Amino acid sequence: MTAFIILAIVALVGGIGVVVAPEPVHSALFLIVSIISLALFYILLSAEFLAAAQVIIYAGAIMVLFLFVVTLLTAGKEDREPPESLVGQRVTAGILALLAGGGLAVLGVVYPSRRIPLGLPAQFGNLRGMGNVLWGPDFLYLAAVAMMLLTGAVGVLVVNRPHRLAEANPRVEEQK
Amino acid sequence: MMIPLNWVVGLGGALFAIGAVGVLVRKNPLIMFMAAEMMWNAAALVFVAYARSFHQMSGQVMAFIIIGTAAAEVGIGLAIIVAAFHHRHRLDIDEVSQLRG
Repeated sequence: MTAFIILAIVALVGGIGVVVAPEPVHSALFLIVSIISLALFYILLSAEFLAAAQVIIYAGAIMVLFLFVVTLLTAGKEDREPPESLVGQRVTAGILALLAGGGLAVLGVVYPSRRIPLGLPAQFGNLRGMGNVLWGPDFLYLAAVAMMLLTGAVGVLVVNRPHRLAEANPRVEEQK
Repeated sequence: MMIPLNWVVGLGGALFAIGAVGVLVRKNPLIMFMAAEMMWNAAALVFVAYARSFHQMSGQVMAFIIIGTAAAEVGIGLAIIVAAFHHRHRLDIDEVSQLRG
Protein backbone atom coordinates (compact mmCIF):
# COMPACT_ATOMS: atom_id res chain seq x y z
CA MET A 1 0.00 0.00 0.00
CA THR A 2 2.89 2.36 0.74
CA ALA A 3 4.35 1.63 -2.66
CA PHE A 4 0.98 2.34 -4.22
CA ILE A 5 0.67 5.71 -2.51
CA ILE A 6 4.18 6.81 -3.42
CA LEU A 7 3.86 5.70 -7.04
CA ALA A 8 0.40 7.24 -7.36
CA ILE A 9 1.68 10.57 -6.08
CA VAL A 10 4.61 10.46 -8.50
CA ALA A 11 2.34 9.56 -11.42
CA LEU A 12 -0.14 12.32 -10.59
CA VAL A 13 2.60 14.93 -10.13
CA GLY A 14 4.07 13.93 -13.48
CA GLY A 15 0.66 14.16 -15.11
CA ILE A 16 -0.13 17.57 -13.65
CA GLY A 17 3.33 18.74 -14.67
CA VAL A 18 2.63 17.74 -18.28
CA VAL A 19 -0.43 19.95 -18.30
CA VAL A 20 0.91 23.00 -16.48
CA ALA A 21 4.49 23.15 -17.78
CA PRO A 22 5.01 26.23 -19.93
CA GLU A 23 7.61 24.73 -22.26
CA PRO A 24 7.05 21.56 -24.31
CA VAL A 25 10.45 20.22 -23.24
CA HIS A 26 9.53 20.36 -19.57
CA SER A 27 6.23 18.77 -20.44
CA ALA A 28 8.04 15.88 -22.13
CA LEU A 29 10.28 15.37 -19.10
CA PHE A 30 7.26 15.29 -16.78
CA LEU A 31 5.65 12.77 -19.10
CA ILE A 32 8.72 10.55 -18.76
CA VAL A 33 8.33 10.67 -14.97
CA SER A 34 4.69 9.65 -15.26
CA ILE A 35 5.50 6.84 -17.71
CA ILE A 36 8.23 5.37 -15.55
CA SER A 37 6.05 5.40 -12.46
CA LEU A 38 3.38 3.58 -14.47
CA ALA A 39 6.02 1.03 -15.50
CA LEU A 40 6.74 0.43 -11.81
CA PHE A 41 3.00 0.00 -11.33
CA TYR A 42 3.07 -2.71 -13.98
CA ILE A 43 5.77 -4.52 -12.03
CA LEU A 44 3.65 -4.32 -8.88
CA LEU A 45 0.70 -5.68 -10.85
CA SER A 46 2.90 -8.58 -12.05
CA ALA A 47 3.09 -7.52 -15.67
CA GLU A 48 6.84 -7.63 -16.08
CA PHE A 49 6.90 -7.84 -19.86
CA LEU A 50 4.64 -4.81 -20.14
CA ALA A 51 6.81 -2.88 -17.70
CA ALA A 52 9.85 -3.52 -19.88
CA ALA A 53 7.88 -2.69 -23.02
CA GLN A 54 6.61 0.51 -21.42
CA VAL A 55 10.10 1.68 -20.54
CA ILE A 56 11.62 0.69 -23.88
CA ILE A 57 8.85 1.82 -26.21
CA TYR A 58 7.36 4.78 -24.36
CA ALA A 59 10.22 6.25 -22.40
CA GLY A 60 12.74 5.21 -25.03
CA ALA A 61 11.34 5.44 -28.52
CA ILE A 62 8.27 7.63 -28.26
CA MET A 63 9.74 10.26 -25.97
CA VAL A 64 12.93 10.49 -28.02
CA LEU A 65 10.73 11.13 -31.06
CA PHE A 66 8.85 13.77 -29.09
CA LEU A 67 12.05 15.49 -28.04
CA PHE A 68 13.29 15.46 -31.62
CA VAL A 69 10.13 17.16 -32.83
CA VAL A 70 10.09 19.61 -29.92
CA THR A 71 13.64 20.72 -30.65
CA LEU A 72 12.90 20.83 -34.38
CA LEU A 73 9.82 23.00 -34.07
CA THR A 74 10.58 25.22 -31.09
CA ALA A 75 14.29 25.92 -31.51
CA GLY A 76 15.02 29.63 -31.33
CA LYS A 77 11.39 30.66 -31.01
CA GLU A 78 9.85 32.14 -27.95
CA ASP A 79 6.41 30.65 -27.90
CA ARG A 80 3.97 32.28 -25.60
CA GLU A 81 0.76 30.39 -25.24
CA PRO A 82 -1.65 32.34 -27.45
CA PRO A 83 -4.88 33.67 -25.97
CA GLU A 84 -8.05 31.72 -26.48
CA SER A 85 -10.08 32.63 -29.50
CA LEU A 86 -13.35 31.40 -28.03
CA VAL A 87 -14.17 33.33 -24.89
CA GLY A 88 -14.28 31.13 -21.81
CA GLN A 89 -13.40 27.96 -23.69
CA ARG A 90 -10.55 26.98 -21.40
CA VAL A 91 -12.43 27.47 -18.15
CA THR A 92 -15.52 25.67 -19.38
CA ALA A 93 -13.62 22.79 -20.93
CA GLY A 94 -11.38 22.41 -17.90
CA ILE A 95 -14.27 22.35 -15.45
CA LEU A 96 -16.25 19.91 -17.58
CA ALA A 97 -13.27 17.59 -18.04
CA LEU A 98 -12.48 17.71 -14.34
CA LEU A 99 -16.09 16.91 -13.48
CA ALA A 100 -16.26 14.00 -15.93
CA GLY A 101 -12.85 12.62 -15.01
CA GLY A 102 -13.36 13.16 -11.30
CA GLY A 103 -16.64 11.31 -11.56
CA LEU A 104 -14.83 8.52 -13.38
CA ALA A 105 -12.16 8.33 -10.67
CA VAL A 106 -14.69 8.37 -7.82
CA LEU A 107 -16.75 5.73 -9.58
CA GLY A 108 -13.65 3.60 -10.00
CA VAL A 109 -12.87 3.87 -6.29
CA VAL A 110 -16.35 3.22 -4.92
CA TYR A 111 -17.46 0.59 -7.42
CA PRO A 112 -17.60 -2.83 -5.74
CA SER A 113 -14.81 -4.94 -7.14
CA ARG A 114 -14.59 -8.67 -7.46
CA ARG A 115 -11.39 -10.46 -6.61
CA ILE A 116 -10.71 -14.02 -7.64
CA PRO A 117 -9.01 -15.54 -4.62
CA LEU A 118 -6.93 -18.20 -6.35
CA GLY A 119 -3.19 -18.02 -6.70
CA LEU A 120 -1.72 -16.52 -9.80
CA PRO A 121 -1.28 -18.93 -12.71
CA ALA A 122 2.29 -19.83 -13.56
CA GLN A 123 4.22 -17.45 -15.78
CA PHE A 124 1.61 -14.75 -15.37
CA GLY A 125 2.77 -11.66 -17.15
CA ASN A 126 6.39 -12.49 -17.67
CA LEU A 127 8.05 -12.85 -21.05
CA ARG A 128 7.28 -16.53 -21.46
CA GLY A 129 3.65 -16.13 -20.49
CA MET A 130 3.14 -13.21 -22.84
CA GLY A 131 4.87 -15.14 -25.62
CA ASN A 132 2.64 -18.13 -25.05
CA VAL A 133 -0.42 -15.94 -25.33
CA LEU A 134 0.71 -13.67 -28.15
CA TRP A 135 2.08 -16.44 -30.36
CA GLY A 136 -0.71 -18.81 -29.43
CA PRO A 137 -4.40 -17.96 -29.13
CA ASP A 138 -3.98 -14.20 -29.54
CA PHE A 139 -1.69 -14.23 -32.55
CA LEU A 140 -4.26 -12.19 -34.46
CA TYR A 141 -3.60 -9.18 -32.25
CA LEU A 142 0.15 -9.44 -32.67
CA ALA A 143 -0.28 -9.57 -36.45
CA ALA A 144 -2.70 -6.63 -36.27
CA VAL A 145 -0.18 -4.55 -34.29
CA ALA A 146 2.53 -5.45 -36.80
CA MET A 147 0.33 -4.42 -39.73
CA MET A 148 -0.57 -1.21 -37.94
CA LEU A 149 3.05 -0.28 -37.31
CA LEU A 150 3.92 -1.00 -40.95
CA THR A 151 1.00 1.16 -42.06
CA GLY A 152 2.19 3.89 -39.70
CA ALA A 153 5.67 3.84 -41.19
CA VAL A 154 4.30 4.04 -44.72
CA GLY A 155 1.94 6.81 -43.61
CA VAL A 156 4.83 8.87 -42.23
CA LEU A 157 6.59 8.55 -45.59
CA VAL A 158 3.44 9.61 -47.43
CA VAL A 159 2.75 12.60 -45.16
CA ASN A 160 6.29 13.97 -45.37
CA ARG A 161 7.14 13.04 -48.95
CA PRO A 162 9.46 15.44 -50.73
CA HIS A 163 7.89 17.63 -53.42
CA ARG A 164 10.28 16.43 -56.06
CA LEU A 165 7.79 16.56 -58.90
CA ALA A 166 6.87 20.20 -58.35
CA GLU A 167 10.49 21.20 -58.10
CA ALA A 168 11.69 19.15 -61.03
CA ASN A 169 9.29 20.54 -63.61
CA PRO A 170 10.50 24.19 -63.71
CA ARG A 171 14.09 23.03 -63.92
CA VAL A 172 13.26 20.97 -67.00
CA GLU A 173 11.60 23.94 -68.60
CA GLU A 174 14.57 26.08 -67.72
CA GLN A 175 16.95 23.78 -69.50
CA LYS A 176 14.91 23.98 -72.65
CA MET B 1 1.35 -7.57 -3.22
CA MET B 2 -2.04 -6.39 -2.10
CA ILE B 3 -2.85 -3.32 -4.11
CA PRO B 4 -6.59 -2.75 -4.00
CA LEU B 5 -8.02 -2.82 -7.50
CA ASN B 6 -10.36 0.09 -6.88
CA TRP B 7 -7.60 2.52 -6.07
CA VAL B 8 -5.68 1.61 -9.20
CA VAL B 9 -8.81 2.14 -11.29
CA GLY B 10 -9.34 5.46 -9.53
CA LEU B 11 -5.77 6.48 -10.31
CA GLY B 12 -6.37 5.54 -13.94
CA GLY B 13 -9.47 7.73 -13.96
CA ALA B 14 -7.57 10.63 -12.41
CA LEU B 15 -4.75 10.36 -14.96
CA PHE B 16 -7.33 10.18 -17.75
CA ALA B 17 -8.99 13.33 -16.39
CA ILE B 18 -5.68 15.20 -16.21
CA GLY B 19 -4.91 14.18 -19.78
CA ALA B 20 -8.34 15.30 -20.93
CA VAL B 21 -7.89 18.67 -19.22
CA GLY B 22 -4.52 19.01 -20.95
CA VAL B 23 -6.00 18.26 -24.36
CA LEU B 24 -8.84 20.70 -23.87
CA VAL B 25 -6.99 23.56 -22.20
CA ARG B 26 -3.54 23.79 -23.77
CA LYS B 27 -3.11 25.18 -27.27
CA ASN B 28 0.38 23.95 -28.07
CA PRO B 29 -0.17 20.90 -30.31
CA LEU B 30 2.85 19.07 -28.88
CA ILE B 31 1.60 19.39 -25.31
CA MET B 32 -1.89 18.38 -26.39
CA PHE B 33 -0.38 15.30 -27.98
CA MET B 34 1.54 14.42 -24.81
CA ALA B 35 -1.64 14.76 -22.77
CA ALA B 36 -3.34 12.39 -25.18
CA GLU B 37 -0.47 9.95 -24.62
CA MET B 38 -1.20 10.16 -20.91
CA MET B 39 -4.83 9.24 -21.58
CA TRP B 40 -3.64 6.12 -23.47
CA ASN B 41 -1.42 5.27 -20.52
CA ALA B 42 -4.26 5.57 -18.03
CA ALA B 43 -6.38 3.17 -20.07
CA ALA B 44 -3.51 0.68 -20.27
CA LEU B 45 -3.02 0.89 -16.50
CA VAL B 46 -6.66 0.01 -15.90
CA PHE B 47 -6.41 -2.92 -18.31
CA VAL B 48 -3.36 -4.27 -16.48
CA ALA B 49 -5.04 -3.81 -13.10
CA TYR B 50 -8.07 -5.80 -14.19
CA ALA B 51 -5.84 -8.46 -15.73
CA ARG B 52 -4.10 -8.85 -12.38
CA SER B 53 -7.35 -8.95 -10.49
CA PHE B 54 -9.13 -11.46 -12.70
CA HIS B 55 -6.02 -13.55 -13.41
CA GLN B 56 -6.55 -13.24 -17.15
CA MET B 57 -3.77 -12.46 -19.57
CA SER B 58 -6.20 -10.86 -22.03
CA GLY B 59 -5.94 -7.51 -20.31
CA GLN B 60 -2.19 -7.53 -20.71
CA VAL B 61 -2.58 -8.39 -24.38
CA MET B 62 -4.88 -5.38 -24.68
CA ALA B 63 -2.30 -3.18 -22.95
CA PHE B 64 0.28 -4.49 -25.43
CA ILE B 65 -2.02 -3.44 -28.28
CA ILE B 66 -2.38 -0.03 -26.64
CA ILE B 67 1.38 0.44 -26.49
CA GLY B 68 1.77 -0.61 -30.13
CA THR B 69 -1.07 1.66 -31.21
CA ALA B 70 0.45 4.55 -29.30
CA ALA B 71 3.75 4.03 -31.11
CA ALA B 72 2.08 4.08 -34.54
CA GLU B 73 -0.07 7.05 -33.53
CA VAL B 74 2.91 9.06 -32.33
CA GLY B 75 4.71 8.44 -35.62
CA ILE B 76 1.77 9.57 -37.74
CA GLY B 77 0.74 12.40 -35.45
CA LEU B 78 4.18 13.93 -35.14
CA ALA B 79 4.63 13.66 -38.90
CA ILE B 80 1.39 15.59 -39.37
CA ILE B 81 2.40 18.19 -36.78
CA VAL B 82 5.79 18.67 -38.42
CA ALA B 83 4.21 18.94 -41.87
CA ALA B 84 1.61 21.42 -40.64
CA PHE B 85 3.75 23.65 -38.43
CA HIS B 86 7.14 23.59 -40.08
CA HIS B 87 6.54 26.70 -42.15
CA ARG B 88 4.36 28.54 -39.68
CA HIS B 89 5.71 30.82 -37.05
CA ARG B 90 3.57 29.84 -34.11
CA LEU B 91 2.86 26.50 -32.48
CA ASP B 92 -0.84 27.12 -32.10
CA ILE B 93 -3.53 24.56 -32.74
CA ASP B 94 -5.83 27.31 -34.03
CA GLU B 95 -3.52 27.68 -37.03
CA VAL B 96 -5.08 24.52 -38.41
CA SER B 97 -8.63 25.14 -37.23
CA GLN B 98 -9.72 25.63 -40.84
CA LEU B 99 -8.41 22.16 -41.80
CA ARG B 100 -6.99 23.78 -44.92
CA GLY B 101 -3.41 23.94 -46.08
